[in-house]
Amino acid sequence: MDPLQLVWLVPGLPLIGFLFQAFFGKAIVAKLGDAAGKKVLGFAAVLPVFAGFAITLILWANLPTNTETRAVVATLFDWLSINDIHPLKVPFEFLIDPLSIVMCMIVTGVGGLIHLYATGYMADDKDYPRFFTYFNLFIVFMLTLVLANNLVLMFVGWEGVGLCSYLLIGFWYKNVANAKAANKAFIVNRIGDWGFMLGIFLVFAVFNSVSFYPSGHNLDRSILMEAADRLTNNPGLPMVANPALWIPLLLFVGAMGKSAQGPLYLWLPDAMAGPTPVSALIHAATMVTAGVFMVCRLHIFFELSQIAMLVVACVGAFTAFFAATIAFGQFDIKRVLAYSTVSQLGYMFLACGVGAFGSGMFHVVTHSFFKALLFLGSGAVILAMSHEQDMRKYGNLSKYLPITYRTMFWGWLAIAGIPPLAGFWSKDEILSHTYASGFLHGQGMAVFLYSVGLITAVMTAGYMTRMMKMTFLQTDERWRKLPEPHHHELGPQHEPHEVGRAMTTPLIILALLSIVGGAALAIGPHLFETFTHPSIGLSLMKPTELPGGTEALLIGLSIAGAVIGLVLALRNYKTQPADQGLGVPVRGWRALAEKQWGYDGAMYRTFVTGGGNFATLVWRWIDAGIIDKVLVNGIAKLIETVGVLLRPFQSGFVRGYAFTMLIGVVAIIGWVFLKAVVR
Amino acid sequence: MTSDLFVFWTLAVISVFTGVAVIATKSAIRSALALVVNFFILAMFYFLLGSQLLGIVQIFVYLGAIMVLFLFCIMLLRVGHAEQLTETGGLKLAGAGALSFAFLALLMSQVLEPVSRTANLPDPQSVHAGVSTVEAVGAGLFTRWAFPFEVTSVLLLVGIVGSILLAKRRV
Amino acid sequence: MVPLSGYLTLSAILFTIGVIGVIIKRNPIVVFMCIELMLNAVNLTFLAFARYHPAPLAHDLAGRTEVYLAGQMYVVFVMAVAAAEVAVGLGIIMAIFRLRKKVDVDDMNILRG
Repeated sequence: MDPLQLVWLVPGLPLIGFLFQAFFGKAIVAKLGDAAGKKVLGFAAVLPVFAGFAITLILWANLPTNTETRAVVATLFDWLSINDIHPLKVPFEFLIDPLSIVMCMIVTGVGGLIHLYATGYMADDKDYPRFFTYFNLFIVFMLTLVLANNLVLMFVGWEGVGLCSYLLIGFWYKNVANAKAANKAFIVNRIGDWGFMLGIFLVFAVFNSVSFYPSGHNLDRSILMEAADRLTNNPGLPMVANPALWIPLLLFVGAMGKSAQGPLYLWLPDAMAGPTPVSALIHAATMVTAGVFMVCRLHIFFELSQIAMLVVACVGAFTAFFAATIAFGQFDIKRVLAYSTVSQLGYMFLACGVGAFGSGMFHVVTHSFFKALLFLGSGAVILAMSHEQDMRKYGNLSKYLPITYRTMFWGWLAIAGIPPLAGFWSKDEILSHTYASGFLHGQGMAVFLYSVGLITAVMTAGYMTRMMKMTFLQTDERWRKLPEPHHHELGPQHEPHEVGRAMTTPLIILALLSIVGGAALAIGPHLFETFTHPSIGLSLMKPTELPGGTEALLIGLSIAGAVIGLVLALRNYKTQPADQGLGVPVRGWRALAEKQWGYDGAMYRTFVTGGGNFATLVWRWIDAGIIDKVLVNGIAKLIETVGVLLRPFQSGFVRGYAFTMLIGVVAIIGWVFLKAVVR
Repeated sequence: MTSDLFVFWTLAVISVFTGVAVIATKSAIRSALALVVNFFILAMFYFLLGSQLLGIVQIFVYLGAIMVLFLFCIMLLRVGHAEQLTETGGLKLAGAGALSFAFLALLMSQVLEPVSRTANLPDPQSVHAGVSTVEAVGAGLFTRWAFPFEVTSVLLLVGIVGSILLAKRRV
Repeated sequence: MVPLSGYLTLSAILFTIGVIGVIIKRNPIVVFMCIELMLNAVNLTFLAFARYHPAPLAHDLAGRTEVYLAGQMYVVFVMAVAAAEVAVGLGIIMAIFRLRKKVDVDDMNILRG
């Protein structure tokens, strides 16, 4: 049997896990008791994800080598089939190629580690089965998203992960703020999904198909070239004159929604309301990178339009910078990481926008290592500190949480871009590609984007150092000065304890990956680039090679930027009072950063309050005034009046009825008579 | 005046007189008896019109069955002399009379005027000589009219069951 | 010869008497009698027309003369229906009388609005 036919097991096993949790989870906890039941359920949740990882490895080993694209399409069954003038055929197909293999490895590998961590993190939660039901379902949808061979199936996964994200953000739904955050994420994502759907429709209108590749083996580059030809030479549609521009732009709207870019970023920080493993898995490592993945998967479309590429690059660079400034003003440890995620996603889009799709994907990979690590570490801190997330109440935790601190230490340096850790390699690649993007956007634009990226790199090192300082390194234990707590809150007598093995093991593994993961893939034989080249390297563009001297200079600049950021922040936050912001003496700066430059508030006022006012207006005037008063009650009144008028006629006297009948008969005959007379 | 006209007029006067008697008397028994006479006269008319079978059936069914049922009912309920059961309101009486008169006038104007125009009717004797017998009606009932005939039998069955159900004290 | 209009006039008069009776009588049995009177007035019309405007003769498949006798047939059915109606109607009156010990039509007004 062709081992590639096992692909259905990759999402299939988590699906079985999901069904198991959903249908037997509560019963097992009830039957085996709390501790033993949770052990069984945790095992049943983690196992299928790691099994999926193993199968991904089998797929990887069996990828065909005889074609340029190394892609294989495995058809599971016919799904949608509409016979029309423009027949729509959407089979349930999985595409196995280097790109999807990479994403599957992240989703199952990092996802599996986070599952393992979650068995410890959620151990005291009474909704343990529900959590892993959602978590496994998320894995199923995420794998559907990355494995899909057509846009419609991808959209199913896309919406599915959105649903799981919603469910998990609002996991502790009894707190209204969490439910609101879940709603916010879902509603903001609708805007992105609107764009994505329009993009899909437009693709279908141009190509009469939504599949990436036709079914079967031997898929080579000519398929991509045909698609590119078809799009460039398209005479335009009745509604859309230039589909080659609008397809990438609309698809990018979708990517912006899912990956929290540009104006649509504002759901991600609030999404931190969910349990920390959720933030690590969905809102850092996998789901939010779906936008980057989608852009890479459809990179041919983007490459055909220089304007679209510029939009992607600019939105990415702007978001990276903007989110980094906000991260300085946050005191909630998870929100710092959330803005950091937004910023790093901006980096990935910057890479895509300058045509370095491979570098973008590489950053997805390394980011999934160190950001998952940082989130899981912050989860350990939060757990150790009685679910207190405010860094102003932390301090000196390196003494109490040695393993967490040591693992997070490497994550910190990795995201800051210190060589030879993972973040350095991907970030450096992105920056040098940006600098080299003059062939695409012009040299001036390239330098501008590069400098924004470099400044952001300095800031990244800065705010991460701030976080680490406030949490672990500053020696005053600030929670000791808190007033006595009421319930289980943080109090002065609190003694933080290191978390259990189920949680530290993933931390250690991810720390190792953050240390060596980048270098192993980037230097020497360029493992990552060589591997993903068949999927995303087959570009239409001919980038210019940088001279060796320039490249070395750029590397030096990256390292210098990271070190400068680190050193400045270490100095600045050494003895600072706890609520210090950026440390730059600009009046009002910290307040602005804390409030996200007022953007979130403005959006809230415009759409939530304004929308509420508009809805109130509509309700007052149209609903209550016209529909209720005139239409509904008016009709009721009319009928009532008619009824009151007619009621005397129903006297119950049978002879009265007969008399009325006689009147009618006379009237009818009289009418006939009159008609005869008149004629 | 020919003999058949004489017979017609005589019977017609009796018929109208007994009809008025049905609604004019205050006693239900008298009403019923007046109706018996009226129906008998109608049977006579049927004979005159050449429907011998229906004339016989009229006497059997109406006089022999239906009117007897009415009389039974009146005696069982002891409402034979229920004088209070007649309309007393003069206004209602007047209204009913006026409206009924209008009705009659309209009916006559609509019926008599067109009918009088068709003066040249064929001689009924020559058309229907010997066909309107018991045999002919029976043959019609079992050939062309078989289906309505059977449906009517079902209706009668329903009537029987229904009246038994209503009359029984407890089902 | 008696004209058709004579029978029709007589029928109309009898029918009108029935109508007046239905309206002014409060004794339900008498109301029923008046309904019977109206039915008979209609029967008379049927038979008169059957006599003066006979349905055309026809021949069946075997060539025998077949008579439609439509008017007479209607009268047969009307009589059957009337008989059924009287049986059920009187049954209802009996039932009501058992229940209320009175048979005034105007007392049976529980359906009023």
